Amino acid sequence: MGTGERNQEAHVSEGSAATPPRTLAEALRTRGDASLAALLRARPDLLSPVPNDLSQLATRAATRASVVRALERLDRFTLQTAEALAVAPDPAPYEALRALMTGDDGDPAVEAALPGAVATLRDQALLWGADDRLRLVRTARELLAPSPAHPSPTGLGPTVAEATAGMSPGRWQETLAAAGLPPTHDPVSAVTALAALFSDRTRMSALLDTAPPEALMVLERLVWGPPYGEVTPDPAPPVRWLRDRGLLLPTSLRTVVLPREAALHLRAGRAHRVPEPVPPAVVPAHEYSPQVVDSTAAGQAYTALATVEELLKDWNEGGPAVLRSGGLSVRDLKRTATALDMPEHTAAFWVELAYGAGLLASDGEASERYAATPAYDEWLELPPQEQWTRLATAWLHATRTAGLVGSQDAKGRILAALGPDLDRSAAPEVRRRVLALLAGLPEGAAPAPDQVLARLRWERPLRGAGAASGSTSTSASASASASAGTPGDLRSRIALWTLTEAELLGVTGRGALSSHGRALLAAGQGTDAEEATAVARAAALLAPLIPEPLDHVLLQADLTAVAPGPLRRPLADTLDVLADVESKGGATVYRFTPASVRRALDAGRAASDLHAFLAEHSRTPVPQPLSYLIDDVARKHGHLRVGAASAYVRCDDDAMLGEILADKRSQGLGLRRLAPTVLAAQADPAALLEGLRGMGFAPAAESAAGDVLITRAHAYRTPPRTAPAPVPEGPPTPDDTLLSAALRAIRAGDMASTAVRKEAPAAAPSPGELPRTTSAETLATVQAAALTGSAVWIGYVNADGAASQRVIAPVRVEGGFVTAYDHTADEVRTYPLHRITGVAELADSP
Amino acid sequence: MNGPLIVQSDKTLLLEVDHERADDCRRAIAPFAELERAPEHIHTYRVTPLGLWNARAAGHDAEQVVDALVEFSRYPVPHALLVDVAETMARYGRLTLSKHPVHGLVLTSTDRPVLEEILRSKKVQPLVGARIDADTVAVHPSERGQIKQTLLKLGWPAEDLAGYVDGEAHAIDLAEDGWALRPYQKQAVEGFWHGGSGVVVLPCGAGKTLVGAGAMAQAKATTLILVTNTVSARQWKHELVKRTSLTEDEIGEYSGTRKEIRPVTIATYQVLTTKRKGIYPHLELFDSRDWGLIVYDEVHLLPAPVFKFTADLQARRRLGLTATLVREDGRESDVFSLIGPKRFDAPWKEIEAQGYIAPADCVEVRVNLTESERLAYATAETEEKYRFCATTATKRKVTEALVRKFAGQQILVIGQYIDQLDELGEHLDAPVIKGETSNAQREKLFDAFRQGEISVLVVSKVANFSIDLPEATVAIQVSGTFGSRQEEAQRLGRVLRPKADGHQAHFYSVVARDTIDQDFAAHRQRFLAEQGYAYRIVDADELMAADDPTP
Repeated sequence: MGTGERNQEAHVSEGSAATPPRTLAEALRTRGDASLAALLRARPDLLSPVPNDLSQLATRAATRASVVRALERLDRFTLQTAEALAVAPDPAPYEALRALMTGDDGDPAVEAALPGAVATLRDQALLWGADDRLRLVRTARELLAPSPAHPSPTGLGPTVAEATAGMSPGRWQETLAAAGLPPTHDPVSAVTALAALFSDRTRMSALLDTAPPEALMVLERLVWGPPYGEVTPDPAPPVRWLRDRGLLLPTSLRTVVLPREAALHLRAGRAHRVPEPVPPAVVPAHEYSPQVVDSTAAGQAYTALATVEELLKDWNEGGPAVLRSGGLSVRDLKRTATALDMPEHTAAFWVELAYGAGLLASDGEASERYAATPAYDEWLELPPQEQWTRLATAWLHATRTAGLVGSQDAKGRILAALGPDLDRSAAPEVRRRVLALLAGLPEGAAPAPDQVLARLRWERPLRGAGAASGSTSTSASASASASAGTPGDLRSRIALWTLTEAELLGVTGRGALSSHGRALLAAGQGTDAEEATAVARAAALLAPLIPEPLDHVLLQADLTAVAPGPLRRPLADTLDVLADVESKGGATVYRFTPASVRRALDAGRAASDLHAFLAEHSRTPVPQPLSYLIDDVARKHGHLRVGAASAYVRCDDDAMLGEILADKRSQGLGLRRLAPTVLAAQADPAALLEGLRGMGFAPAAESAAGDVLITRAHAYRTPPRTAPAPVPEGPPTPDDTLLSAALRAIRAGDMASTAVRKEAPAAAPSPGELPRTTSAETLATVQAAALTGSAVWIGYVNADGAASQRVIAPVRVEGGFVTAYDHTADEVRTYPLHRITGVAELADSP
Repeated sequence: MNGPLIVQSDKTLLLEVDHERADDCRRAIAPFAELERAPEHIHTYRVTPLGLWNARAAGHDAEQVVDALVEFSRYPVPHALLVDVAETMARYGRLTLSKHPVHGLVLTSTDRPVLEEILRSKKVQPLVGARIDADTVAVHPSERGQIKQTLLKLGWPAEDLAGYVDGEAHAIDLAEDGWALRPYQKQAVEGFWHGGSGVVVLPCGAGKTLVGAGAMAQAKATTLILVTNTVSARQWKHELVKRTSLTEDEIGEYSGTRKEIRPVTIATYQVLTTKRKGIYPHLELFDSRDWGLIVYDEVHLLPAPVFKFTADLQARRRLGLTATLVREDGRESDVFSLIGPKRFDAPWKEIEAQGYIAPADCVEVRVNLTESERLAYATAETEEKYRFCATTATKRKVTEALVRKFAGQQILVIGQYIDQLDELGEHLDAPVIKGETSNAQREKLFDAFRQGEISVLVVSKVANFSIDLPEATVAIQVSGTFGSRQEEAQRLGRVLRPKADGHQAHFYSVVARDTIDQDFAAHRQRFLAEQGYAYRIVDADELMAADDPTP
C-alpha cells in the first residue's frame, strides 16, 4: 500500500553495521529477517524463482524489469525523492538530497515527509547506503536520470561534466575566461571550476547580475524544463552571452542545454517545481445519514439480484450465440439492454458480472451459445444477502473490466462483452483502492470523484497512467512524465467505473460506502478464513435491510396485480406465467391478458387452480372481470385439439370446423374435413396451432395417446463450468510461510557462497573440461567483458544437451541473453545465460 | 420507511390509496406526476419530462420533487432517478422568451453553452434573428410558437415571459344569481389566470364551460372560443347567456351555417380546418378582431392544423379545457408548448366524492353470435369484420331487454352504424339523431328528451361531444369508434352529470364475444378501469333470462 507502510527497521539495522556496505548485496546482508521479508512482500517478483543467495537477490532487484515494477508502485513524493536522487551526485549525503527537495528556502512539510520516503526507497532496495552515502540502485538511476532521449520529470538537464564531454580545449579557455575563471588546460579541473561557480550562490548571482535582461528571459524559459533550446548557427546576442559563459552548452549544432548546476541555482536549489509531500485530501462532498446510505445501497443490491435473475431468465431458452472471435455481438447486447430497459454499457456490466461470478458461460456446443451454468441454479437457492456477496466478491476480485466494452483496442477492433481482451490487471487494485478511500471517510459521506482521481494519481503516478490499452507497459513508462494522468487514462477510467459499478451493485449508496460494503472490503486482505468471516459479516449487515419477500398481491379491476414488494419465489414464478410483467422496481405490476391466462392453462393449470391461487394470494377480493377473464379463456381453452403425428383438428362442434374451413386465413394450413368433427392439416402441428390461434381460437395440442400436450418453459443450462479466474499481474503476494522458507533458503545459499573456505588448490581446468562458475559470477564476468570488449572462454550446453567450449567476445548482456561475437564459429551469436556452465577470462587476450 | 409510495424503475409511481398518508402523498406528487391509472387500490402516476416541466412552470423546484419522492417512498429511491429528476427539471427555464424594449422578442439564456447548442440546431436557425449579446438572441415575433415547439423537441423548453396583449376590452361578468362557481372551478380559473396560459383538466360533467366563463370574466376582453361542433357551440352560447352578463347579440357563431363575428365568437374546429384550393379560407377569423382570450374546448381533440394556427397566436392568452391530456395521436408535447402547461387538474373520483358528478355502474354485456353469424364473420373481409360483429342481431335483443329493464328512466342508446341505429330506433320506437338530422331538429329532440317527453333517444357519434343531457341516467353503447378511449370517456360522461334525485347512473356496453369487438371493448374499458370505474361483465343469456317478460 502507499506510504503508510514504511519499515523503519531497515534504517535501524543498517546503522548498526560496523563497516559501510560497498554493494547492494552487502547492504541487504546487514538487514534483519523482518526487513528482508518486507522487501520480498513489497516486490514479490524477486521471489520467483527463490533466489539462491543474497547476491542473486541483489542482482535480481537491480534488473530493469524489476526496478520499473518497483518504481511504478511508488507514490508521487517517494518518486520525486528518487528523481531528486537521480540528479544528485552518486553517492549523495542525506543533506544534499534534502537541499534538492526543499530548495534553499526550506519546506517543513517536505522535510517532515522526506525520511519516510527515503525509508520506503531503502525498504524496497531501490536505495542503499548509510545516510551520508545514499546510493540509488544503478538501474533506477539510469531510468530516472535525465538524458536527451528521456527528459527527466524534474526538467533538469545534464551536469556540466556530462554536457562538456568532448569540448575542445580552445573553447574551454574562452568559456573560462568569459566566466571570469582562471585558465587551466586540464579539462577535469575546468569542469570542476565551472560547476563550482554555478553551484556557488553568491558568485553565480554576481555573474547573472551582469547578464543582459533578454538573457535572463532565455534562462527563465529553460529553467523548469525542458532544458534544451534550439539556436541558429549565429545566435542572438543574449544567447551568445549565455553560451560564451557556459550557461548554455551546445549539445549539437543547433541545440543548447542549460546545465543542471545552473538550473538548480536559478531554481533556488529545488529539483522539483512543486514537491508534493502530502497526498491530496479526499474530503466529503455530500453527507447523508448512514441509514439513508445503507438503505439506498440495500435497495440497489436487491435490484442487482433481480437484474441478474432477469437477465438469465431472459436467456433461459438458449441465450445469444458466441461470436467466432469470442464474446457477445453488439446486436445481442443491444437486445439484452432493451430487454432489461437500461443503457448498453450498464447491460454489459451485468452480463460481465454474471459471467465473472460463474453464473453464465458458453455451453461449448458446436453452435456455441451463452447460457446459465448449474452454479446459477445453486445461486438462486441462496438467501438474497449471500447471493449479493457472491456477486460483490466476484466483482471486487475481477480483472475483467466491463467498462471497456464497446471501446476499441489498439488494432481498432471493438471489444465485445464476454469477449477476450477485457482483462486489465490493474482493475482489482484500483477498485479496492477507490473503495478504501471511500472507507476512509466518515460513514455516510460521499467524496467528489475528482478528488478520488487526484489521490489515485498521487499514490501511483506511474502506474496505469500509460496508454488506454492498459497493458502495463514496462518499457518506458518509468520515465514518462509523472504529472500525466488525465481523466482519459486507464486508471482514472477504472476508478470512475468503480464508482458507478459500486453504486449499481449497492456497495455504495448515493456515492457513500455502505456498512455492508465496508464489511466486504475487509475481505480479500487476509487468509481464506478471514475473508469468509468478512463476507459473512457483510451478508449479516445486509440481510435485515433487504425487504422481506411478500406472499400477497393486490388485484385490481383493470386486470392488474400489484406486488407491493418482492415476492416469494413460488408465488413470483406462478405469476410470471399467469400474467405479463408491466413495470418493475420496488414493486412489480402484473397485467392479466387472455394470452397470459392461456399460457398458464397451457402450462397445465386448471381454471379452478387459478381461481384458488388468486383468492389465496390476493389481499383484496378478486375482481369480477378477472374471474370472468379466466373462465372465458378456460371455456375456450382446449376446445380444439390438434394432433402431432399427422396434424389434425378435431372438435365436437362441427359448425366451428366449418367456420375454420370457411376462413380464408386457414388456406395456408391446408385443412380438409375428415369427419364432421375432425379436420386434417397439411401444415405441421406448430404452424397449425399458430394459424388457429391467429384466427382467434384457442386450440390445445394433443399427443398420440389423445391427451393434452403441456408446453412449459424449461431452463437451458451449460455443462458445469468454473468461473473465470482473475488474472492478477505478477506473482501473488507471498504469505508468511512461503516468505520465511524463502528467506531460510536464501540465507543458507548465502552462507554457502560467502563462507570462508580453505582455498582448495585451484585445479586448473583440465583441457576439455567445461569451466564451472556460479551464475552470479558468470553474469558479472560476461558483463565486465562486454564493457571492456574483451573475449572470454565459456562452457556451453546447447539445446540437445551437448557441451562445448567456445571463445566469445560479449557485445551485449540483457534479458538473460548474451549477444557475442563467437570466435569459435566466427559470427555473432546469442547465448542464453542459463546454458553457460561457466566462464573464464582468457589468460592472454588475442 | 413505510410510506404509501413505491417508485418503479420505469419512473412510474405506485400510490397505495388505502394508506393513511395517501392523501398527503397525492398532494405532494400531483404537481409533477401525471395520474395514469386510478383503479381501486393502487394508483399509478408517471413522472415524465413534461410533467416535471409542468411543475417547474408552476413554481416547484427539483428539491421539492426529490423530497416528496424520498419522504413518501416505501423503498429507497434509486439515486439515478433522483439525479435524473433534478437534471430534467434544471433544463426548464435556462432559456426564456421575453420582451426587449429595443429588440422586441428575445431569447435569453442563463447558461451560455445551452444557447450555443440550440443555435447550432438547423431547426432553430430559421427562427432566430441577430445575436444581441453573448446570452441573448432576437427571435422573429411571428415564430414565438414555432421556437417554443422546437426547443421543447430539443429538450430545452423555454419559459415564455413575453407577456400577452390585453386585446380589445369587453365587459364580461359572471351572473352568479342563485349559483356560484364551485371551489375547484374557482381554483382552476385562478390557476389559469396566474399562469397566463395553459390547460385545465377536469372530468366530463365537472363544468368546464363555467371555468371558461370564469376565465372570460377575468379577462374582460373579446374572446374566441373554439369548440368541436355546432351543437356544442350552441351549448356554449346558451350557457354563456345564462351564466354571464353577455347577451345573445354579443355572442356570434362561426360555423358551417353561420359566419358571425361578435365580441365573443364561438367557432368550430371543422370550419377552421376546411381547406379550399389548398388554403384555409377561414383562418382570417383569428385576425378579424383583437382577441384578448382564446378558449380551446376539448383540447385533446384539437386537430393538427389548429396547432399550426395556434403557433402564431402566442401573444394572446390561451385556455385549454379537457377531460384528459391523453391524445390518441401522442401530440401531448404540442399542447404543452403551444397552449401551455397544465394549470389545474382534479381526478374524477375526487370530484365524484365531492358530489359534483354522479357515481356510475359500468357493465359489459357479452353477446354470442349465432352460428350463421359466426360463419359469416369468419369469412368477412378484415375491414368489414368490426362492422359485422358490432351490428349483430343479438345486440338488438339485449338492448331491448335493457330498455325494458330501465323503463321510465331517461335512456340513451349510442352507436356507430346508422343502419343499426335506424333498426334500433324502429324497434324501440325512439327517435334517431344522426349526421343528417338538421341542427334544429336535433335541438328540438334534445329539448324534448330534457323535458322528459321522450325517454329513449338513439344517437350516433354526432352526439359524442359537448351535448348536455342532464337527465340521462342510462347509456347503452352498442358500437363505438373502434378502440377509442376518449370516446368511451365522453360517452360515460353523458351519464355522469349529477342527477336531480341522486340516483345511480348505468353505463352498458354491449359487446360480441370472441370477436374484435371484444378486443376493442377491452381497450376502451381499460381506460375506464384505470379511471377507477370498475365494471362487471355479464353474459347476455343471464341478462335476458333474468329479464324475460314472458317466461
